[in-house]
Amino acid sequence: MWMGIAIFALLMFAGASGPRPLWTGPGVNLLGGPSPDGSFLSYVDPATRNLAIRDIRTGATRTLTHRSGPEYAYFSTVSRDSTQIAYAWFNSEGFYELRLTPADGGAHRVLYRNEEAGFIQPCAWTPGDTHVLTLFFRKDNISQIALVPVDGGKPKILRSLMWVYPKRMDLSPDGKWIVYDSFAKEGAGDRSIFLLSADGKTETKLVDMPGDYLFPLWTPDSKSVYFVADHDATTDLWSVDIDERKPRLVRRDLGRALPMAITKDWSYVYGLRAGETDVVVSTLRAVKEDAHRASIRYPGRNMSPTWSRDGTKLAYLSRRGSENFGLEARAIVVRSIDSNEERELLPQLAHIEQARWSPDGSALLVSGSDGKGRGGLYVVDAATGAVKPVIREAGISFRGYEGAWAVDGESIAYVRDNTEVRVRNLNTGEEATLFTGPNMRRLVTSPDGKCFAVASGEYSVVLLCGDKRRTITVPGVTELDWGRDLIAARGSDLWVIPVREPTAPTQLEMPGNRRPGFGVHPDGNRIALTVSNARSEVWSMSLKRAQ
Amino acid sequence: MNWVVFLLFAFAGPQGLRVPVGLDAYVPIPDDNPLTKENVQRGRELFFDKRLSRDSTISCATCHDPKLAFSDSRKLAVGVEGKTGNRRVPRILNRAYGKSFFWDGRVVTLEDQVAMPIVNPKEMDLSLEAAAARTGVDVVSLKKSLASYVRTILSGDSPYDRYVQGDREALTPEQRLGLQLFRGKAECASCHVGMNLTDEAFHNTGIASPDDTGRFAVTKQPEHRGAFKTPSLRDVARTPPYMHDGSLATLEEVIDYYDKGGISNPNLDPEIHKLQLTASEKKALVAFLHALNGRITDGL
Repeated sequence: MWMGIAIFALLMFAGASGPRPLWTGPGVNLLGGPSPDGSFLSYVDPATRNLAIRDIRTGATRTLTHRSGPEYAYFSTVSRDSTQIAYAWFNSEGFYELRLTPADGGAHRVLYRNEEAGFIQPCAWTPGDTHVLTLFFRKDNISQIALVPVDGGKPKILRSLMWVYPKRMDLSPDGKWIVYDSFAKEGAGDRSIFLLSADGKTETKLVDMPGDYLFPLWTPDSKSVYFVADHDATTDLWSVDIDERKPRLVRRDLGRALPMAITKDWSYVYGLRAGETDVVVSTLRAVKEDAHRASIRYPGRNMSPTWSRDGTKLAYLSRRGSENFGLEARAIVVRSIDSNEERELLPQLAHIEQARWSPDGSALLVSGSDGKGRGGLYVVDAATGAVKPVIREAGISFRGYEGAWAVDGESIAYVRDNTEVRVRNLNTGEEATLFTGPNMRRLVTSPDGKCFAVASGEYSVVLLCGDKRRTITVPGVTELDWGRDLIAARGSDLWVIPVREPTAPTQLEMPGNRRPGFGVHPDGNRIALTVSNARSEVWSMSLKRAQ
Repeated sequence: MNWVVFLLFAFAGPQGLRVPVGLDAYVPIPDDNPLTKENVQRGRELFFDKRLSRDSTISCATCHDPKLAFSDSRKLAVGVEGKTGNRRVPRILNRAYGKSFFWDGRVVTLEDQVAMPIVNPKEMDLSLEAAAARTGVDVVSLKKSLASYVRTILSGDSPYDRYVQGDREALTPEQRLGLQLFRGKAECASCHVGMNLTDEAFHNTGIASPDDTGRFAVTKQPEHRGAFKTPSLRDVARTPPYMHDGSLATLEEVIDYYDKGGISNPNLDPEIHKLQLTASEKKALVAFLHALNGRITDGL
């Protein structure tokens, strides 16, 4: 479906005055943006996770950072004179810092380094390139709009917002106004566009009409703001003059757009998400040959399947709402294998990372975060979608903890701080340490519910059965599940790891581009997988012509 | 205006207000009542003026004592002739950022808020017209001046603020553990969140008496019965006793109360449940709450 939309968009807007692709094909990444002079794009190289730039005319690329260990680059923005790039850098100590690098290469500088600042997103530069307008998403789950001086001074916090992270903000080229998207009103899910003076004196709602509006960007003359209206499957482009304040529809059906910036020549540069992600079910004997799509409703937006303990139900996550760099809101779809009936659960959670069936099939243990940004583990009623928190904490990842049910259904195990497997009684809240070890993740339960397995490091899995501990070496483990045998994933590859006898792992041939999230049927013969041809593209459209 | 000059000016805060570390530079100030030195000074004089009470025995500052973080040390508010109210005097710190006022949020502007204690029979018990006549300040100006002054009462630059800004030594190890608990196991940050450590929302914590229905009196919505506004925790250690009725004498008692999951009632907020805190965790939480004592400033 998304492929269709992309092709339609290409045909519809292929004329000289309409949108045109700037960058398509493998390796496209949307975590940066165009230089104001329109000559290059900053981005994160998906292969190396380094900050890089790409010449828009020639396609030539240059890597600007050299990561090691857990480090990686994230969001970036190019200075107004197109000579510097401010970027978020996940450092070796495990938090984001704000860095600056010359666009032509050379040594970086750290502009701001504070573990409490949490997630960092540089968004725009002030006139004269003296400050970087930056979003912090603090550990206490408030986001802050800040001006970070390039000379190394302390940031000026202009505005704090509770439990919401603007998807985009921008500073007017004259340096006087900031626009950002936030919830339209308290308790609302829809967003609107807000206008904040850069001196902190005033703030008003710039767009006051029903709908979900996001990703505001300034025009070069500082007089208008372009933003998108989200319709779940696509977006429309709107603009508003900041004096008249009468929003105007510019173009319908822009696609699943992630706007990046408006360049000095009035080019509206935006990312597009295209392609489909879906759940397929197959046999372990012939994964590639026997694969067929499992999802019926909402095709093209499904992932991370999990089988119920009795094998009669399959649950998977299904993307909902506006684009958010792969971290969109998700529903849980429960499919009955016998009847093919599908039910949609919409738990009151901001993010769902994964779900695991309870032993009796009445509930799901969900890793994720709630509306207040508290990551943790939640029990979701499989009939009603009602949410009951098990553990929720501010300051941990929005992905929450990885958890697995114990056989009795009255306790769960989870991985804390990547170093400890803890068991928690759901009735009393009492906890005990089951196992400690380095770099642990991917906790799963054995089919009979009597054992746990947890990945430890990149190449080993520890089996925890009562008091017994056994370590198995695997070809790699970024994901894990346990059917008749252990199934370990490394990137897009899957391996069968025999547990009972010491035979060599067997690699499975995949039906397509496998993405994270798979589940093994309790009979050990079937598997549900996430496959995807999703991709990103960068497009451009002249706003002068559009006007 | 040159951009650098523009920024330097902005760092001073809007309309000359000095905003301490930890608070937003953006301070909501209504268009029809800009902060002026004259208004703020007049508001300050009115704030300490006992003529605003019927028998000229108490001023705003009598209950909102600057030496006690703009609150007092009594369980319940005491007005003219020793009349006792049914709620604790709130600290009026950083109220410029507030969305609603009083424990039940019955008004949404400071201009309306400042007038109500003056006319309340259990507080200052004086009509606004009489207050205007006594002070020579007309009613509208009186309200605007008092509101302007209250907007300048700010608390920030606490050890907590400095820690969050990146000074890793600003909190003791015990306070750092307390902060971790505050955000995690103790779940305090479920409501005490943001720069002002309040969600500005209303919650039923289980402390309620039949004759004080809290937010319900304003909204008439049954689910609001017994709900009161989350107070800011800034300078909380300076101002016992606690809760909207002053019923808990110490921070230790407050933490014990929440640890036990509050008092069950049909409207108990779902955020409140048993916490199973250990003695050392409770002690760390109290230590952290002391780190919220900031530098309190007023005026321009």
